[in-house]
Amino acid sequence: MKTFTLATSAIALCIGTAAMADGHATKAAVLNNYADIAEANYTDSLTTAQRMQTTIETLLAQPSAETLEAAKSAWLAARVPYQQTEAFRFGNAIVDDWEGKVNAWPLDEGLIDYVDASYGGATDENEAAALNVIANASFTLSGETVDASNITPALLEETLQEADGVEANVATGYHAIEFLLWGQDLNGHGSGAGKRPWTDYAAGDACTGGNCDRRGAYLKAATDLLISDLEWIVAQWAEGGEARAAVIADEDAGIASILTGMGSLSYGETAGERMRLGVMLNDPEEEHSCFADNTHNDHFYNGVGIQSVYLGSYTGIDGRVVEGPSVSDLVAATDADLDAEMKSKLSAAVFALGRIKTAAEAGFSYDMMLERGNEAGEALIMGGVNGLIDQTRSIERVVAVLGTSIEVEGSDSLDDPEAVFQ
Amino acid sequence: MMRFFLITMSLFLAIPVVADTLDMKPIVESHVLPRYQTLADETTELAMAADTDCSPESPPLIQTYHDAFDAWVGVSHLRFGPSEQDDRAFALAFWPDPRGSTPKSLAALIEDEDPVVRHVQDFAAVSIAARGFYALEFLLFDPQFVVSQKEAYLCALVKAVTRDIALSSAAILNGWRSGYGDLMATPGNDTYRTPTEAAQQVFTALSTGLEFTSQARLGRPLGSFDRPRPNRAEARRSERSLRHVILSLEALRHLATLVSLDDPAVAQAFDTAIKKAEGLDDPVFARLADPQGRFRVEVLQQSIDNIREILAVEVGPKLGIAAGFNSLDGD
Repeated sequence: MKTFTLATSAIALCIGTAAMADGHATKAAVLNNYADIAEANYTDSLTTAQRMQTTIETLLAQPSAETLEAAKSAWLAARVPYQQTEAFRFGNAIVDDWEGKVNAWPLDEGLIDYVDASYGGATDENEAAALNVIANASFTLSGETVDASNITPALLEETLQEADGVEANVATGYHAIEFLLWGQDLNGHGSGAGKRPWTDYAAGDACTGGNCDRRGAYLKAATDLLISDLEWIVAQWAEGGEARAAVIADEDAGIASILTGMGSLSYGETAGERMRLGVMLNDPEEEHSCFADNTHNDHFYNGVGIQSVYLGSYTGIDGRVVEGPSVSDLVAATDADLDAEMKSKLSAAVFALGRIKTAAEAGFSYDMMLERGNEAGEALIMGGVNGLIDQTRSIERVVAVLGTSIEVEGSDSLDDPEAVFQ
Repeated sequence: MMRFFLITMSLFLAIPVVADTLDMKPIVESHVLPRYQTLADETTELAMAADTDCSPESPPLIQTYHDAFDAWVGVSHLRFGPSEQDDRAFALAFWPDPRGSTPKSLAALIEDEDPVVRHVQDFAAVSIAARGFYALEFLLFDPQFVVSQKEAYLCALVKAVTRDIALSSAAILNGWRSGYGDLMATPGNDTYRTPTEAAQQVFTALSTGLEFTSQARLGRPLGSFDRPRPNRAEARRSERSLRHVILSLEALRHLATLVSLDDPAVAQAFDTAIKKAEGLDDPVFARLADPQGRFRVEVLQQSIDNIREILAVEVGPKLGIAAGFNSLDGD
């Protein structure tokens, strides 16, 4: 059976005409605003990480309960802008290739520091799961002896990160720093985050957990590395940067990048990998920020980031608003009902994610929600999951209406196996 | 972090002027419903066999395990609608399991002699890692569990897992029969507003099924050239790894025939891939450390990726659709 779908083509033509007619919502303008928002959002991530760096330097110079708490507060604040940037991750290869350095998760934290006996040791999947770099100045990794007497950003980045080809060997980024500030959360499904004592950074006899100087060196190296990684990504989105250039080079591909980022973060990543899996496994370690118990905020700000990208409006850490022509404008010019549907789905998802945040901040923590048989918790989390899945359906409709389509391509090694052997 | 290999998304403008419309009815009636019927039948047999004799030594139990698992692989690509409701498909098949949640969860149940196994309704609340075919495989084939001091509890656990598998399978079939099949076969409803949306769902399932077989079923044991990971092969304890690749390709070929409107290039690409898989003679991918053995698996993987490429480049545009978002997007 053959059906004419000239309508789709006609719609595509209409976008072009309308965009030029009203002089605002051209695809080029939408893409420029998108890149401006990305730049602002990553700049905010850098600024808050630099504030964290200052508090960590104070902690290391004058270890105390107060200076540790100040560093933890700064880490929490730094997560607010960063989690919103995840809307830029999928769809922009340059971001996705870089992202593992700063936000890799989940991690086998025994690679880095001491862990509770219940953690166990090396596993079938990961021989380095309990390596404990902080306690060992020299060790064997993938059959080679590693000199770790100096803990430097290079050691973390080049030797330890994804050591032995295992993704759970996360040596860098926000979650490694989170572990060094909070320690393991040993409360299971009970409330409460990790309770690392400040004396883990104390000098001389006051030191707990052993090797306080090396722990401090690790924390400093991981923090410095995070800053340099964030500086790099900010530059990619600035005028003349590579990420910005890639997005504006081809208008249709650029619009498709925006929608791919929204859909992949909504569905496969946040709704699937990060949220639904945790509920189905009833595993308190399947929490995005399991040491700090900040998972409710991780998910919430993912939702906010996706919404900001669609609306073309970002609220910065200092209250400034970066906004302009948006995908929403493009859709509204073609199919006002679909634009209204998309907006309402995005709002509903942010609201559902906000319910999790509300309950968690009132004391019903995310790991309690994950416990087997905790129906209220499951309902809260699944409300967020369903909101994200639901909005993905509408994003697919937007893709169809804007006349872009999404093709999944394999990596070089998959597409051209002969290249691997040359 | 990338739990699967790199997938770069590239996007392009593709608006067909003329498109073929897919008739969804044959897809529902000759692909989806009979396959879920088989799954429901085989899992009922499995639960009955476990009820009669729960021992891992029981030949009828092992035979029905294999038959039911075969039936699951034949529908494992249909991850939408009734299979996603109440996490049924996840509860039937939790794999890959990079953190070893399945043995951990099972060991915890056995250690505590958790009374949750007494009633099948209660059992539905336990972690998906301790439910379904992959958990059952550990209980029937892994020495850690087969040789247990707590034989009575283990028996109750095997019965609970098989009953739960049968219940989830029956629930999916029932969902398709009592409404969802109609929603898909006759679009123009809130789930599928247009025939294109229904077609896109099936097209996504086809493409994602191929991606899963290529990247998880083959890609996980392949690991990297320097570090192959044969221990990550799917269902290797019951020596089903390669079998799953072949069964999934056969199921996907059946669906592809209906979706591609008998496109000869698609049929040929499937034949090539299936022939390569059948010629492997390495049932659990044990020979990946040997460059020759590895090369043959990589060639198979490439031939599967080639099918997906043909679907995306040739069949999709003809139908005026492209694959939508799937659960493998992201990490």
